Amino acid sequence: MEKNEALLQIKHLFGERATDASFERALYARDLAPVPALLVDPLFRTVPDLVARPADAGEVSAVLKLASAAGIPVTPRAGASTVYFNTVPARGGIVLDLNLLRGVVELDEAKMTVTVRAATTWGELEHYLNARGLAPQSVPSSAPSASIGGWFTMMGYGIGSVKYGSLLSQVRAAEVVLPDGEIRNLTLGSDPPLDWFAASEGTLGVVTGLQIVIRRNNPMSHYLLSSPDLGEIAGVLAAVKDAGVTPYNLHFTDDACVRAMHRQGIAPDGVSGGCLLAIDYEGAPEELAAAQQTVESLVAVNSSVSLLPPEAALEEWDERYKSLKLKRSGPSELGGEVWLPVRSLLSYLADIEQLARKLRLGLCTYGHVASPERAIVMTMFFADETKVFDYIIGLSLVKKIHDVGYRHGGYPYGVGLWNTPYLGRIFTKGQLAALRARKKRLDPAGILNPGKLYGWPPLLNPLFFAVGMKCLAGIGSLRRGGDR
Amino acid sequence: MMTMDNRQLLAGLEREALVCGRCGNCRSACPVYKAVGWESASPRGKISMAKEIFAKGRQSSLTGDFARRVAQCTLCGACARDCATGIDTRSLWLELRRRLSQAGQEPQAYDSIRDNLLSRKNVSTFDNEDRLEWAQDLDEEPEHLDRQEGAEVCYFVGCVSSFFPQAAQIPLAVSQLLMKAGVDFTTLGGEEWCCGFPLLSTGFVDDAREFARHNVAMVKELGIHTLIASCASCYHVWKHDYQEGLDGYDLEILHTSEYLARLVREGRLEPQPLDEVATYHDPCDLGRNSGVFEAPREIIRSIPGVSFVELEHSRELSLCCGGGGNLQSVDPDLSAQIARFRVEEIAASGATVVVSACQQCEQMLSTAIRKAGLPIRVMDVSELLLEAVD
Ligand SMILES: Cc1cc2nc3c(=O)[nH]c(=O)nc-3n(C[C@H](O)[C@H](O)[C@H](O)COP(=O)(O)OP(=O)(O)OC[C@H]3O[C@@H](n4cnc5c(N)ncnc54)[C@H](O)[C@@H]3O)c2cc1C
Repeated sequence: MEKNEALLQIKHLFGERATDASFERALYARDLAPVPALLVDPLFRTVPDLVARPADAGEVSAVLKLASAAGIPVTPRAGASTVYFNTVPARGGIVLDLNLLRGVVELDEAKMTVTVRAATTWGELEHYLNARGLAPQSVPSSAPSASIGGWFTMMGYGIGSVKYGSLLSQVRAAEVVLPDGEIRNLTLGSDPPLDWFAASEGTLGVVTGLQIVIRRNNPMSHYLLSSPDLGEIAGVLAAVKDAGVTPYNLHFTDDACVRAMHRQGIAPDGVSGGCLLAIDYEGAPEELAAAQQTVESLVAVNSSVSLLPPEAALEEWDERYKSLKLKRSGPSELGGEVWLPVRSLLSYLADIEQLARKLRLGLCTYGHVASPERAIVMTMFFADETKVFDYIIGLSLVKKIHDVGYRHGGYPYGVGLWNTPYLGRIFTKGQLAALRARKKRLDPAGILNPGKLYGWPPLLNPLFFAVGMKCLAGIGSLRRGGDR
Repeated sequence: MMTMDNRQLLAGLEREALVCGRCGNCRSACPVYKAVGWESASPRGKISMAKEIFAKGRQSSLTGDFARRVAQCTLCGACARDCATGIDTRSLWLELRRRLSQAGQEPQAYDSIRDNLLSRKNVSTFDNEDRLEWAQDLDEEPEHLDRQEGAEVCYFVGCVSSFFPQAAQIPLAVSQLLMKAGVDFTTLGGEEWCCGFPLLSTGFVDDAREFARHNVAMVKELGIHTLIASCASCYHVWKHDYQEGLDGYDLEILHTSEYLARLVREGRLEPQPLDEVATYHDPCDLGRNSGVFEAPREIIRSIPGVSFVELEHSRELSLCCGGGGNLQSVDPDLSAQIARFRVEEIAASGATVVVSACQQCEQMLSTAIRKAGLPIRVMDVSELLLEAVD
């Protein structure tokens, strides 16, 4: 089938829910990352030819059948709260805006599961469940905008994961439309199995519904600790994580970040520097009592650590979906998000401090513990996207952050397009081969979200990428009058 | 947590558009996005375009399509509530509309609104001298209704309640309650000009200032020190945008619900039992944008026999009725669609009466409820209280 013919048929099928108007399509050519056109346009075709908004799995299937027949790339997009061009087409084609697939389909309190349509946001689900005394087991810190299907097809770790595990471990079943248009109900035991689609970043199939395990909305307790001594705070973090009662959320902020918050007027009262550690528990009263003992005894034996007032701890919790608040000091932010071994946190932060000194750049780090072994760590610095040249130089420094992460056993959290040069760090050769085999089996024509996850585009191959970034960093260093 | 100081520090459309992180918290909160569904209708989409045009100087992107999207906003403020970077988006939309009008890109409907206001001083087609015609339906006209110097209270009636018969029930109820409570009250009569909000929200800021100056001068001239407004938008404008003109003048500004709740508390009004299941719809300009949540609820709860149920989204999280931001004048279908979303929640609440505190909300909800064929009455909180006091 001809490409234009297929696009026409989709337009016809969708009516007002499909558009090829350039005014509209332009907004689907970016995600959160304002990467300059100078870098993007020569390499990729990010503006889709058509944006379509399917209302159900049947319509998703119809698009995929036509797209397969005509070899048109299809990029699924829901909350579009990702930053690596995960939802941005690399080769034009169709963007499937999934946001009409919304709402709770069924709540089963006996089995403690809820079935949702895939683009329901975590915020919506949380609101729905909370009104019934229930809650999701875990949520991303982008909950108000991120969709359930989107988080499933991304990494699926966030607030609550340290206690309840990854989202994959909470999903019982999913309805998925495969690249050839077949609609399937998948479980861990099906062929293909459900887990293939977790972290598949929209490259293997379009998830249209999910059944997930939920929890009771238990009482919570919140603690916010402050200390000028990074070592002691890291020690407390490790002890809290491994204590008898597992925290629901464990979030730390380093000194540079707290100082930036203070400058912006958003640090807790009386705190102008040092590190912060937020510890949140949920559970039965006995658990909360035991947790209180743990925290208080740790504060007692770590002389530099102080417990901030409960209101400050509650406010920190209430602001959990506003991690972008520091961006106001930018106006832009650049940074690297690293999936880091928790045990390396201290040494990672020490090296980041050294890098900051060398580059004479304020590097702010914060993150949350995602599992007993790993933390999602964001190290960022302020930039200004209107100063295009400096901004591009700034992008080269992101690689330096990832290099520090790599030295400490970490690698980028999520791939999309921009992290493809790090594929060799993220996956072993065997893992990558297995992923590519899945892709080949389910999407032999490569229509779903092409250019992402499985390989790097020619100009982003790791060697070119490393040399290019080094050159840019060198130019940056010269402009700063040499690094220290 | 975001203080006013650091908002001002970084004020300005250009800067704010750059500060936006495009996280999409706003998109999930936006009733217009929910109804339209395209990214360009979402707050983050509009800010993205504003960034290109104003912060990056791509004036060619200032197209009619963009202007249309900017007009598609009820100014409900839900986006500001959820903004992760603390952008005062409501102010940003007003500033964007001002820029569009400066560039001559405002919708035609805005020009008609402005022309009418400049010539008549109100949003209707009636002469401003007829402001008090609604009072003819009172059994007994209060003694000092028209510009009484030194009155205890001045009631700022608002254009819609003054001129549109469907909304006249509100000033009638407010006046009767004030009379029952023995309050010495007056109005600005034919010297009450539109509060200026329709001008502010269509981008004609300088004209709005002139209206504000006039109203403030009248209040000062009469030596008024307590002003009450039953229109949530008039109240919001008096409370927030008139402060500069008031310049320290001692004026207590209250919404009628706040004042009536006070009268009930003081025992000057004594509600008798009513048999109703009531719910309350928070008007955006009164609730989320001004922080008045409790007073209307206090009044409803003060009525014996009324069982009160909250809507699924209430208080800070309340959903817009679709009637704000002059949306009705440019896209009535979109307005109606947003009202339908709210009515779905009202229907699910099991209420026999939905109470609000804004004539615009009342009108939007009444129409949507009538079209849905639901057996639910829509009332202003003053009307419900009058029923209980009568
Ligand atoms: C402030 C902030 C905080 C964040 N916090 C976290 C966090 O705590 N943990 C975390 O993991 N991430 C986090 N993120 C990243 C991102 O928000 C999450 O990965 C989120 O779950 C993505 O959901 P989405 O609906 O926005 O997906 P999108 O961005 O729309 O899509 C993400 C990827 O999934 C694909 N996709 C989306 N929906 C479907 C579907 N139904 N079927 C198939 N493919 C689909 C897309 O093609 C794309 O490749 C954060 C981002 C921000 C801005």
